[in-house]
Amino acid sequence: MKKLLVPLAFVLITGVIAWNYLSLPGANAWSEEELRLLSSLALDALPPLPADPSNSVADHPAAVEFGHRLFFDKRLSSNGQVACASCHKPELMFTDALPLAAGVGVGPMHTPGLAGLAYSPWFYWDGRKDSQWAQALAPLEAKHEQATDRIQLLHLINGDPVYYSMYENLFGALPSTSNLPLTGAPEGDEAQQANWNSLDGRTQTAINRTFSNLGKAIAAYERKLLPGPARFDDYIAQLEAGSEEEFALSSSEIAGLKLFIGKGQCVTCHNGPLLSNHEFHNTGVLAVNGTMPSMGRYDGIRISREDPFNCLGQFSDATAEQCTELRFSRDTNDLVGAMKTPTLRNISATAPYMHGGQMQDLKQVIDHYNRAPSSMLSHNEAKPLGLRTVERNQLEAFLLTLSAPLGTEKKWLAAPDY
Amino acid sequence: MKLFFGLLLVLTLSYSNAADTMPPDLSGMTDRGLTIEIYSELSPLRINQIHSWHIRVRDGDKEVPMLEQLSVFGGMPEHDHGLPTQPEVTTRLDDGDYLLEGVRFHMQGLWRLQIELQLEGVDDTAIIEFIL
Repeated sequence: MKKLLVPLAFVLITGVIAWNYLSLPGANAWSEEELRLLSSLALDALPPLPADPSNSVADHPAAVEFGHRLFFDKRLSSNGQVACASCHKPELMFTDALPLAAGVGVGPMHTPGLAGLAYSPWFYWDGRKDSQWAQALAPLEAKHEQATDRIQLLHLINGDPVYYSMYENLFGALPSTSNLPLTGAPEGDEAQQANWNSLDGRTQTAINRTFSNLGKAIAAYERKLLPGPARFDDYIAQLEAGSEEEFALSSSEIAGLKLFIGKGQCVTCHNGPLLSNHEFHNTGVLAVNGTMPSMGRYDGIRISREDPFNCLGQFSDATAEQCTELRFSRDTNDLVGAMKTPTLRNISATAPYMHGGQMQDLKQVIDHYNRAPSSMLSHNEAKPLGLRTVERNQLEAFLLTLSAPLGTEKKWLAAPDY
Repeated sequence: MKLFFGLLLVLTLSYSNAADTMPPDLSGMTDRGLTIEIYSELSPLRINQIHSWHIRVRDGDKEVPMLEQLSVFGGMPEHDHGLPTQPEVTTRLDDGDYLLEGVRFHMQGLWRLQIELQLEGVDDTAIIEFIL
């Protein structure tokens, strides 16, 4: 009996290793249903950029140029060192490679990418903003980001002849700054709040309108940031054309794609040509070290509804009828701890991952979804996947095929030189 | 403003005409035997796009029922979550159909709709399942 133990253990160990690391054959054939699903993920299937009725200059060329300048301008910060582009770096697909955003201070959340974001109805990891322009306003005043305020910005625009002219051409007369304090915001520090509260309602509204217009220009620029076709898209085009050329993806990457739409269940949330449903899910990601777990979308939708810069507010250019996402938004308990699904396009260039940058690389992310641990708050929507080691490697290989230069004119990918 | 309502009227009329000639996108029957037909503004149905529906409730050849209440809930039984939005019936249209606004689906797979209505003080429900 003892003689048998050694060979038996050998066979067992070899079997376990083989099961984990050997690829199963036959992964390269696709059913009609799978092909339809794959076509729905290709960049070719991306519809035209949706209009933003809340922003009347969303597609105005002069607003794009104005927003481009504002996006890269470090003067839009309390210390003159931080622009939007300081965290949303073009060379990193408009992310910053840091776990948590670092502007004037360090923030509570990871910097998301911006490419293709104009297709999303909600912004921030918890969806606390319902338009790109309303989103663009918050970092300008956030203490850990740019830490300036709406009155300082008004003075800046007033004092810069280029900005002054661009502003007035787009939005009409800039409010007078002659009797204004140098700083002021409704949610700033004590001095900023005191300054803000010293102003009459009409002046506050005029300043808010200017502030919102700056956000609208930045959003017009951000709408230009779109993903470009990746090797994955080339492969789909080959499948659609029935091409007999060598596939744009390797057999391992194709096997990973099969897992992506099958056993891995990634496509349930990472769907459509942007590989995101722009929705909110609790996937059991741990809170950022040393912090309480975030309530996620549960709080986010409540904040959005109260936001004076939302689609239904007085600074929006939309009619109430056009604010469908906000009017019919959901706020139920199953949104506790739910965070927004990010796009997977160019995912290899946007590490670390998750809302707090909790995971360093894609291996950790895939391992997380494979285990589907319990959530700290509410419940994890995902279920354990049972992916073998080889399958996890294949899935990672597939995710790397989603990288491509942005489909955006080069002049928008650097600070303006015009 | 006039232009908006004019446009809305044109859209509503053309949408109603479509509902008269096209087969419904979804259909079902309530526990009490009322038929439910759903005509989607976005047809065929697809994910990640908010849109509205016409819901037609009929009782065989009898007069068009005047509902006291009509609500639509939905979710994915396999994922234990609801719709990403909270659609609402906002208007009873001239032809007796109802306008449901704020419908969006965010995942492919099996969806289950629960249509709850009240007619002559009695609650009634229809369940409609479909795969996106």
